[in-house]
Amino acid sequence: MHPAFSVLIFTVVSGAGYGLIFLTILGHLSGLAVLQNQSLLLSSGVLSLVMISGGLLSSTLHLANPKNAWRAFSRFKTSWLSREAVFAILFYPFALLYLIGVWMQGAEIAAVFSLAGWVAAVLAMITLFCTSMIYASLKTIRQWNSALTPVSYLALGLMSGGVLLLMLQIMVDDTASDVLKNVALALLCVGVTVKVIYFFWIGKPSGSSIKTATGFTQASVRLLDQGHSSNGFLNNEFGYTVSANKLLRIRFLAVAVAFFLPMLLVCLSGPFALVIATLAMLAGLLAERWLFFAEARHVVRMFHGDQSV
Amino acid sequence: MTSQENRIAIVSDLPEFEDRDNQETKYTTCYMCACRCGIKVTVEDNKVRFIQGNPNHPINKGVLCAKGNSGIMKQYSPAKLSSPLLRKPGTERGAGEFEEISWEKALGILEKRLKRIRETDPKQLAYFTGRDQMQALTGMWASQFGTINWAAHGGFCSVNMAAGGLYTMGHAFWEFGDPDWENTKYFMMWGVAEDHSSNPIKLGLKRLKERGAKFVSVNPVRTGYQAIADEWISIRPGTDGIFALSMIHVLLKNQLIDDEFLIRYTNSPYLVVNTPGVKGDGLFYRGESDNPQVWDLQKEAYVDGNQPDITPALFGEFTAPDGTPLRTAMSILVEKYLDDQYAPEVAAKECGVSAEDIERIALEMAHVAFKETITLDVEWTDWAGRKQDKFVGRPVSMHAMRGISAHSNGFQTCRSIHLLQILLGTIDCPGGHLAKPPFPKHVPPGIKPAKTNVPNTPLKSPPLGFPTCPEDLVIDDDGQPLRIDKAYSWDAPISCHGLMHMVISNAVKGDPYKIDTLMLFMANMAWNSSMNTAQTLEMLCAKEDDGEYKIPFIVCSDAFNSEMVAYSDLVLPDTTYLERYDTISMLDRPISEPHAACDSVRIPVVKPDRDVMSWQEVMVEMAGRLGFPAFTKDGGERKYDSYKDFIVNFEKEPGIGFLAGYRGEDGSKSLRGEPNPRQWEAYEENEGFFEFELGMNQRYMRHANKDYLELAKEAGWVGSTDQILIEVYSEKLQTFRLAGQGLYDGPMPTEAHHKERLVKYFDPLPIYYMPLEEQRIDRDEYPFHAVNQRPMFMYHSWDSQNAWLRQIMNQNYLFMNRIAGEKLGIEDLSWAWVESHNGKIRVQVKLMEGTNEHTVWTWNAIAKRGGAWGLSDDANEASDAFLMNHLISELLPVKGDEQDRITNSDPVTGQAAWYDLRVKITPAKEGETGAWPEFSALKPQPNASKSPDMLSYSSHKNVNLVRSWADTLFRGDK
Amino acid sequence: MKLGLVVDLDTCVGCHGCATACKQWNTSGTIGPLSDKDPYGKDPNGAWLNRIRTYEVGDTPNSKTVHMPMSCMHCEDAACVTVCPTGASYKRSEDGIVLVDQDKCMGCNLCAWACPYGARELDPNEGTMKKCTLCVDRIYDEKLPEDERKPACVLTCPTKSRTFGDFDDPNSEVSKLVRERAGKQLMPELGYNPVNTYLPPRNKPVAVKYETTGIAGKVKGWVNKVIAR
Ligand SMILES: Nc1nc2c(c(=O)[nH]1)N[C@H]1C(S)=C(S)[C@@H](COP(=O)(O)OP(=O)(O)OC[C@H]3O[C@@H](n4cnc5c(=O)[nH]c(N)nc54)[C@H](O)[C@@H]3O)O[C@H]1N2
Ligand SMILES: Nc1nc2c(c(=O)[nH]1)N[C@H]1C(S)=C(S)[C@@H](COP(=O)(O)OP(=O)(O)OC[C@H]3O[C@@H](n4cnc5c(=O)[nH]c(N)nc54)[C@H](O)[C@@H]3O)O[C@H]1N2
Ligand code: SF4
Ligand code: SF4
Ligand code: SF4
Ligand code: SF4
Ligand code: SF4
Ligand SMILES: [Mo]
Repeated sequence: MHPAFSVLIFTVVSGAGYGLIFLTILGHLSGLAVLQNQSLLLSSGVLSLVMISGGLLSSTLHLANPKNAWRAFSRFKTSWLSREAVFAILFYPFALLYLIGVWMQGAEIAAVFSLAGWVAAVLAMITLFCTSMIYASLKTIRQWNSALTPVSYLALGLMSGGVLLLMLQIMVDDTASDVLKNVALALLCVGVTVKVIYFFWIGKPSGSSIKTATGFTQASVRLLDQGHSSNGFLNNEFGYTVSANKLLRIRFLAVAVAFFLPMLLVCLSGPFALVIATLAMLAGLLAERWLFFAEARHVVRMFHGDQSV
Repeated sequence: MTSQENRIAIVSDLPEFEDRDNQETKYTTCYMCACRCGIKVTVEDNKVRFIQGNPNHPINKGVLCAKGNSGIMKQYSPAKLSSPLLRKPGTERGAGEFEEISWEKALGILEKRLKRIRETDPKQLAYFTGRDQMQALTGMWASQFGTINWAAHGGFCSVNMAAGGLYTMGHAFWEFGDPDWENTKYFMMWGVAEDHSSNPIKLGLKRLKERGAKFVSVNPVRTGYQAIADEWISIRPGTDGIFALSMIHVLLKNQLIDDEFLIRYTNSPYLVVNTPGVKGDGLFYRGESDNPQVWDLQKEAYVDGNQPDITPALFGEFTAPDGTPLRTAMSILVEKYLDDQYAPEVAAKECGVSAEDIERIALEMAHVAFKETITLDVEWTDWAGRKQDKFVGRPVSMHAMRGISAHSNGFQTCRSIHLLQILLGTIDCPGGHLAKPPFPKHVPPGIKPAKTNVPNTPLKSPPLGFPTCPEDLVIDDDGQPLRIDKAYSWDAPISCHGLMHMVISNAVKGDPYKIDTLMLFMANMAWNSSMNTAQTLEMLCAKEDDGEYKIPFIVCSDAFNSEMVAYSDLVLPDTTYLERYDTISMLDRPISEPHAACDSVRIPVVKPDRDVMSWQEVMVEMAGRLGFPAFTKDGGERKYDSYKDFIVNFEKEPGIGFLAGYRGEDGSKSLRGEPNPRQWEAYEENEGFFEFELGMNQRYMRHANKDYLELAKEAGWVGSTDQILIEVYSEKLQTFRLAGQGLYDGPMPTEAHHKERLVKYFDPLPIYYMPLEEQRIDRDEYPFHAVNQRPMFMYHSWDSQNAWLRQIMNQNYLFMNRIAGEKLGIEDLSWAWVESHNGKIRVQVKLMEGTNEHTVWTWNAIAKRGGAWGLSDDANEASDAFLMNHLISELLPVKGDEQDRITNSDPVTGQAAWYDLRVKITPAKEGETGAWPEFSALKPQPNASKSPDMLSYSSHKNVNLVRSWADTLFRGDK
Repeated sequence: MKLGLVVDLDTCVGCHGCATACKQWNTSGTIGPLSDKDPYGKDPNGAWLNRIRTYEVGDTPNSKTVHMPMSCMHCEDAACVTVCPTGASYKRSEDGIVLVDQDKCMGCNLCAWACPYGARELDPNEGTMKKCTLCVDRIYDEKLPEDERKPACVLTCPTKSRTFGDFDDPNSEVSKLVRERAGKQLMPELGYNPVNTYLPPRNKPVAVKYETTGIAGKVKGWVNKVIAR
């Protein structure tokens, strides 16, 4: 699949935002000591909203006819993209209400605000889940059509939220608490595990091949002519091809930069290290998300000559 | 498929889709190619909404091909020329610097020039036309002008097929005949990728496959039609002759021939003089009479072979009363083909088809011909007036085209295939190969090529005709060619369509002489229709020492900004096919179907928005201005005020005009009748065509069918009602051979190589020989054959300007067999050099399965000059696509003998030998990509419209179908 | 009703007639225009609703060329419709035709991602999704002559390899063809239940050889028969 930069930014940045706000609210409302700090909560809340909104805005950049974007709310009944849109919007009033509470009342907020907080946290995760289901629901792309997709979207969202939270703590509080450090490390471990499993899993052959695509299951099938000399929409959208070597290198790079480097830096602690850890992680996740697209192979490719996907 | 079943009940909630009250439907004839399908054009506000096939039309019965369906994009092409153009004084030819001029000025320039030529030396005008459909008019115009230097594209196209058929049975493949799609049970297709009969072939193949008939395709490449063949014979190019003759060997060996057919309808029982080395050898024995003699088995005497009711011996050797040894033609034939050189095992080595397959296919055909005979119980009368109660059909049929014709052995190969059909008795019978009126004609048609060159005087006969003996050649007393293309000379004696591919080369060399003006209509000689394109471009710009161009003046009529435009001095912009009146005339090759004589017209459906004039109109106008006798009254004033007027009122002979339908004053007469002033309207009312169905008794065996021949005579298609005797043995060819042997009482060649060619290639019975290029090059050095195919969705150079069609293909590849490519270390999609004796090109290679191992091929005419055809300078056609033409020379490979300057053509007919090409292939180096040679981009015309970057064609505002809000919000999964 | 097409792979010669008929009808039709980017420049690229692909099946020398025209299959389980967030894509309940409401589409491409058959292409000028309409504006247009109320591609196909009809009606021509010729769906394993069905190449007809006597005739072996001319 052609990795559209706007979509990479969207999923990574808003995923991190949802993860951040979820962890923040969860920690705060469940009484985690290090998260009873108003300025930390506020800065985390604002940062996540900025990231989420920025991501969502970025996602509209890939629309070819954005003037109809508002219509995306209408097919909640069946469309994960529509659901994502609906939940993303629903999230805002609750998240804002919660933040207003924190802003006005500090860490000790009234029930209505904490209720809003709980709802916002749940909506954040639901929205992230919807985003992942946009991809996971597509039977046409085997590399996405798996429970591993939502699991990894959620895990990586939470992971990036965890690292961001830790970094915010050291910026705002001048300290990096062990508990947040451990949370971040744990989430990094979960993240890397999920991703590595994913990388192994997508190596498995799929049931479809150029033979089932064309219906000639008894013999080899080769494309002679795709019917148009220059590439068209389908080639551009689905024909994105990167050499296996390059993919492998980027995999190593992504895993190192998104997971292991941050782990190391988190262990090192210190504000500088944690800023670098966050930036590295986000950069690594961009590479990971690029891979998510670049390694996804749409079945249409077989009509254009790929033997399998 | 009946339409009934596909009709769908109306569902209520659909809107009015578009306002059809604003639309008009008009009928005309497609000209996206030469198939000439009937079209129904929906127009709104002078814009085309939709072009569809006319379901009532005899040719296409409602269907259209990819091109026909893209007519809109031709009509709105930015490459359309919009006014007459004159090369700017002081600029070079080829630079493409033009000034716009008025029609009055343009016609004035032309008139002045032509008048001078006509008054002095008419042959100084060379007038050649490309893939046009108005040869009846242009040929007549040339005759009236008085120049013998006229021809259409046939010489570089498929004259081998025309001549092969017309010199054998009076009709042919190409546009002259069709398989009987409805009844054939075994169909063999030789070297056809698309052909002119493109929709009829497709409709036919479907019918054939539905009926479970067998379809065998002989072709080095398996695409298109071959893809759906039941059996694909991957033949080595240029060797079909030996394959056919070997099948004949198998038939003869097993005595599987239709002797009744041979005796009744062919000249195979004729007695042939058998006196090798002596004058008269190989000619028919005529005794005292004028007519060839046969041996009558019952009378036991020599009798006139053309009489009915005799019982001729098919075989045997005889001695004439004067002691002359004689053999029947059939005896010669049997002896010849039973020779071991035609044995399947021997043939297999040459053509690559296994001996078992050769034998099997021959016997399969014999089975269908003789054991699956069909009879139609229809009474008919034979040529001698005898009633017959049935037509016997031997349902084996064939179609062959350029895979056969574009080789220098194509004439004889074509004859070999016809001979196979004849021995099986499958000519013009139910299930066999049917003629299309006005064919068959007598063998060959009785027109002789003109030789005269008299100022201000029309030719005595048309410029092109059918020589039957050396006396008919168009040569001077020294044996030198009289025509600029050297047609009808010893180089190519039976070149009955001329040699268009030689005109530029010969004119520039002044060999045989220089000309003043070259006038081209619809021929892209500066690109895809010339051999040796790069050098042709140089030749077009070559100058004498005094600075004058070697071809002083070039006029071209084109509708689009083709490559040829840039190399012309005067450009006369034509209308598009949707903007003009035109006739597809019975005087030429009309749109007839086997069972019906048909012709058709074009009627404008949109108004031109430019300053253009149809070439038809230009021809009539010029004829009037120059005062051609046929176009002026006695007093000298013009007879016809327009093309329309000319078509209606011109009579070639009483009652015969360009259009055969709706003749007679009230339009009630068909085929022959007085001019009808409302003839155009009648055609318009009948959806643009005229169809004259033959009676059931006139549909078969037309070469010997009295009822048909009488009709044909009345219609002016044939000169007499005599039987059209099929010439298995061609005495006409033998006369040339005798000339070569020095045994002829008449013109004889003086040069050794001419003698040799006549002796070798003018065999009165079909033969196989290795194509000439292959004979003259090192076959190991150039191991591959290189051929072309027509893509079904492109017509020569016409369609790269078509925004839709060029998306289907804007780059061609050199296709080669995967295994052959791998052996050479050539990877799929890599670039490679392809080299012939004439030059080299760089191409991108595609490996495939369905290509003969010794063959490489590409799609024809995809490459274009940047800037031409409304294309951008960096269009794919200019940067990645390639022309094979650069590799093909118009002359034979140089060997240092006297044949070096002889045309690369069939030695009998002068047919351009495009597919004789042999090449070698080497991988290109790292970084060597893109097509080579490269050509600078051509300049746009001064008044060219800019080609848009985005195109959203619609004939009206589109009407959207709107989904309701309720459905949008509340519908579930289903 | 379940409307769709049957395509006969035994007779399709890959002429692209159906593809351009589709283009010309629909560029002025209900979902038109079908725009073309750089129509006269490098790499021209436009929106088409019907494309012809060519495959070679099997290896030299036992291979076959197959032309495969593909347009929207009007799937029964059309995920292209379920994924569409705007509701622009829908499947008509009356006849199963899958359409795109051009007024609603936001050009997110998701439906194209969901389509396994490459049936949807984004219009480069309009930014909306284009796809085969099964020529809904021909088949239901009472102002067209009855015989012509068929998809443009079906009307034009020179080898009559395309048949249009109702797959719900067991007596329709399409149903019969699917039964008699063992019609196949493409990529059935994905579970989209495409309505359009492909007829595989037929078995070759059996040709019989002439039974020969086995005695090879020699030139002299020919005997003249008395046959009157
Ligand atoms: N769409 C379309 N239709 C056209 C045209 C066009 O440009 N486009 N051009 C028109 C014109 S002018 C012409 S002359 C006709 C020509 O129509 P075709 O006769 O169909 O011409 P080609 O495309 O040259 O096809 C030649 C075929 O012969 C095969 N071949 C080559 N060498 C040999 C050989 O030695 N033996 C055998 N058995 N096969 C061989 C090639 O692989 C190819 O399939 O088409 C006409 N129709
Ligand atoms: N390598 C190779 N070369 C070949 C062949 C091959 O197989 N291989 N085939 C050969 C054969 S068989 C043929 S017939 C020739 C075809 O050769 P040509 O007939 O010369 O070539 P075309 O490309 O058909 O077009 C000639 C010109 O007609 C113009 N034209 C189109 N429509 C109109 C119109 O309405 N009015 C006027 N006045 N002009 C118009 C076009 O713009 C173009 O410039 O090519 C030959 N060249
Ligand atoms: S075959 Fe195609 S291009 Fe040729 S006349 Fe027919 S519809 Fe037109
Ligand atoms: S029009 Fe018919 S033969 Fe041509 S590509 Fe389409 S389905 Fe095949
Ligand atoms: S073919 Fe594709 S676009 Fe058509 S209904 Fe099926 S999934 Fe949707
Ligand atoms: S591109 Fe248009 S039709 Fe397709 S899913 Fe997006 S909004 Fe729906
Ligand atoms: S049914 Fe209509 S829209 Fe669909 S492919 Fe055929 S012509 Fe195109
Ligand atoms: Mo031709």
